Amino acid sequence: MPKRKLDPLPWAAFQILLSLADEDLHGYAIMRQVADQTDGRLRLGPGTLYSSIRSLLEEKLIEEVDRRADAKLGEERRRYYKLTPAGRKLARSEAERLADLLRVARAKKILRGDYV
Amino acid sequence: MSEKIYACLLRLYPDRFRKAFGEAALQLFRDRSRHERGLFSTLRLWFDLLADLAVSVPLEYRCVQQTLIGANRQRFEGQPSFRVLEGESPRLEALAFGVVLSLVAAFTLSLPVGHAEPRGFHSNAMSALAALEVPQQPSERPQVGKLDAAERQRIVRAVIANLKQYYIDPDVAQKIADSLLANEKAGKFDALTDGAAFADRLTTQIRDVSQDRHMIVEYSKAPLPDRPPGPPPGALERYRKAMEQENCTFEKVQVLEHNIGYLKLNSFPDPSVCGPTATAAMASVNHADAIIFDLRDNRGGYPDMVALIAAYLFDHPEYWYNPRENTTEQSWTRSPVPGSLLADKPVFVLTSARTFSGAEHFSYDLKMLKRATLVGETTRGAAHAGRFHRIDDHFGMGITEVRAINPFSKTDWEGTGVEPDVKVKAVDALITAEKLAERKFRKK
Repeated sequence: MPKRKLDPLPWAAFQILLSLADEDLHGYAIMRQVADQTDGRLRLGPGTLYSSIRSLLEEKLIEEVDRRADAKLGEERRRYYKLTPAGRKLARSEAERLADLLRVARAKKILRGDYV
Repeated sequence: MSEKIYACLLRLYPDRFRKAFGEAALQLFRDRSRHERGLFSTLRLWFDLLADLAVSVPLEYRCVQQTLIGANRQRFEGQPSFRVLEGESPRLEALAFGVVLSLVAAFTLSLPVGHAEPRGFHSNAMSALAALEVPQQPSERPQVGKLDAAERQRIVRAVIANLKQYYIDPDVAQKIADSLLANEKAGKFDALTDGAAFADRLTTQIRDVSQDRHMIVEYSKAPLPDRPPGPPPGALERYRKAMEQENCTFEKVQVLEHNIGYLKLNSFPDPSVCGPTATAAMASVNHADAIIFDLRDNRGGYPDMVALIAAYLFDHPEYWYNPRENTTEQSWTRSPVPGSLLADKPVFVLTSARTFSGAEHFSYDLKMLKRATLVGETTRGAAHAGRFHRIDDHFGMGITEVRAINPFSKTDWEGTGVEPDVKVKAVDALITAEKLAERKFRKK
């Protein structure tokens, strides 16, 4: 019984997909990567992060990776997440959508061409 | 304590969320708490958490499940779409519980605000050791004790005698003496009837002639002790016990993400007591790909321990400049340390405005040898190469008695501190160093 639809992809979820583009990461690393790629503007709290992760898992846009903690290195056991092909495709289409938006903004002279 | 508060706050989420991600959320909290220290970062962390709770808890209750399936995505031609379904509402008792917990959290947070800055290592034993160091500038300079011409003359004579006896360069000592006597003869000290002002004036003149910033004439209202106080009885035993309790001030020895070794060391303790602990600490990060020494709360200590730890970072004996000691055969690090894999690994040293004395020595030499990247704030600036000589009950002077060869620079860090390579606030130093290390790994 859908109450509301979040479309396009929520910003936090999109950022998480982008953060996983290069490598598999655990929750905290995702949070930091997202903070990095947004120049610290988006610091995902645990609730938002794992809520988004759950949505992405359910959508099979990301998947959990079996990665054991290395006790010798003092690592705590963590869940790692990996981008699935579907997740990568979705991230790309979202990026293209934003690129389209950018083109429009430039055409309307809201943005100058050398901004991005 | 903070973790317990957050664990309680997690109870605000629906069971389903907690079962699936409660532990992971708590882990994330732990990770952030570990890396984000200091007043500002702690406040920011809690602001983020509370804002996150305010947004995500209601959403979680509304979102029983998200059942977007592939067909749905196809229907929207690849456009991303998420559906949120209405589910159970937050229970009244959960909301009430949340309000109470938030108040408790806010109150608890207000407590550390006044004490958030981590303090350096303090113990009776270390205080006793501090007393053994070269006496420091007295904190107060009271305006008492009017000096007359005879008093001033007596002090000037005593200063000159000490300089001639102890100063490393007799020629310079003579030049200072000539200058002081000339000024005295010209009546330039006549107006100085205040002890502290007179001491300042002498210091300025001595430094002008010698260009040696370690020289100082001091005035103390309280009578100076006849000799530096020795260690009180049982000091070594107390020190040993304190070191046992404090793990020799190795507050943290960890391997962080990306296999970065992390040592938070709050002093450089006596190697005769803490040598085995230091060796064990270095061994436990031996396989790291980079190493971070966190000296932000380090108040200094024993030069031997500074050199002992530094030895792990070189594959050959390296000249280890120490402004407090003459250059001797012992001035080279005992490198390579058998079995050490750290000689070619990137090294980062975290500094703050509190980083002091021996910790500055460690930072300065590693920086000058281009063996470490210093990240954080300029250090406090205590090289203390002088030795203190008592002139009378109220006057004394610091005189440079050692001439260490400084191959890096004409000056050391006395008074100016050691400048970091990467200047960031101390609270951000760890996260910055981790990023720098990761960047180095990527370049490989």
